[in-house]
Amino acid sequence: MLTSSYIGVFNIMPRGIILHTADNVATLIDPARDGQTCTLQGEVAGQVIARQDIAFGHKICIAPIPLGANVLKYGQVIGRATRAIAAGEHAHVHNVDSARARGDRQERQEVRP
Amino acid sequence: MSKTFLGFRRGHGPAGVRNGIAVISVMDNCNPATRAIAQAVDATLAVTTSFVRGQFGADLEFALDSLAGLGRNPNIAGVLLVGLEESSTEEVARRIRPAGKPVEVVHLQPNGTIECVAQGTRLAARMVRQASQMRRQPCPMSDLVMGVECGGSDTTSGLSCNPTIGRAADRLIDAGGTVIISETSEFIGAEHLFAARAVDATVRQAFLNAVQGMEAMAVARGVDMRDSQPAPDNKRGGLSTVEEKALGALAKAGKSPLVGVLSYGQAPARKGLHFMDAPSGAVENLTGLAAGGCQLICFGTGVGNPIGNMVAPTIKICGNVNTVHSMRDNIDFDVSAIFESSAKIADLGDQLYDYVAEVGSGTRISSEILNIRETAVSRFERSL
Repeated sequence: MLTSSYIGVFNIMPRGIILHTADNVATLIDPARDGQTCTLQGEVAGQVIARQDIAFGHKICIAPIPLGANVLKYGQVIGRATRAIAAGEHAHVHNVDSARARGDRQERQEVRP
Repeated sequence: MSKTFLGFRRGHGPAGVRNGIAVISVMDNCNPATRAIAQAVDATLAVTTSFVRGQFGADLEFALDSLAGLGRNPNIAGVLLVGLEESSTEEVARRIRPAGKPVEVVHLQPNGTIECVAQGTRLAARMVRQASQMRRQPCPMSDLVMGVECGGSDTTSGLSCNPTIGRAADRLIDAGGTVIISETSEFIGAEHLFAARAVDATVRQAFLNAVQGMEAMAVARGVDMRDSQPAPDNKRGGLSTVEEKALGALAKAGKSPLVGVLSYGQAPARKGLHFMDAPSGAVENLTGLAAGGCQLICFGTGVGNPIGNMVAPTIKICGNVNTVHSMRDNIDFDVSAIFESSAKIADLGDQLYDYVAEVGSGTRISSEILNIRETAVSRFERSL
């Protein structure tokens, strides 16, 4: 069943997948270099310029996310921005934080019904 | 679309997709004898276990039920139990006998390892000869109980291989079969979407109790789940939070309604989509699924996790083009064409469903061929 060929780093326009119209991040399915224009496809089409190198499979911010705002993927909340994230920035554990199962915060997070 | 697979009919129960003899350790101290017997006899499967000795209460019940469930699995033609002494071995044997397959026992006490292994080897060899007389016959797809699992997940898991598995899961349920999804902690952040699919309030509440109970336990113990969910390899693969991982993991369950909630290793009592409350570690999770009667498991991976289950063939599915190349010996079903050539998830899901029927009919997969298979029954409490 192994059929595909490796494309990865040689792709000229890195591709990002947007899963929902409300999303403010896209998932890159090619690695992106700083300054490269990424083509966005999926539920919304468009382009965004990467502001830094971003690895295959990682997320790129496609709309400005203020500090403390929800990060949205699949049209769902996947965490909160721990600082303002600009379009084109890498959105990952250094600026996105889980709101769930946080025993380290000493307070019980509210669980959605 | 496949309507049948070639399986081994087992009396009135569902058919098996394999016809092995399971050599099962009743407790940890029997593992060396179990391995020696399985090594000596072809077509046997060594099912080893940690602990059991010294376990008590509900934890002991889980352990004995799970070991027996592996023996009851339709893929197993007969069971040889390797125990320390008679009373504990009988505890497992009596749980397997209702399945109506041969159950033999050997003990380390009082004659020691050499006698136990010699006797066990002879019994296992006889059982294999008998089992090999059985022939595959066409069986309905509705006979299948399929586990869905993911491990070594990355962002491609949620976008490609898990939705493909979900499509195949829906096809199986449409055909009257059963699907079990588990990994309780991997629902945190997406449980509201899955709960909405429950057929009634009882099922919905049982599911939410499992997920929220897991989260409450983590919070009560002061655990910062960010350290383990997502795991470091998940983070390297682009997953940032447990919520993001959960939304992708959920895709394995397709779109069917949730009809039942199972405890670890419990077999479903009806057809359709079930949730099993089980830990997310692949080895102990796969063990729970196989103990619950799954004859096959579809396992989506992103950055790559090679492990399979001893009793239930574990099909490795991958949508990450890099992993498909770097771990090609471990991947059975490549869905990287979803990104690389715009293949449709629905089409690949239908192909995966047909591949499940092929594997069910005897096509061997990487974890079997390379024998990269493990067993670990979950442990929930301390031992005495």
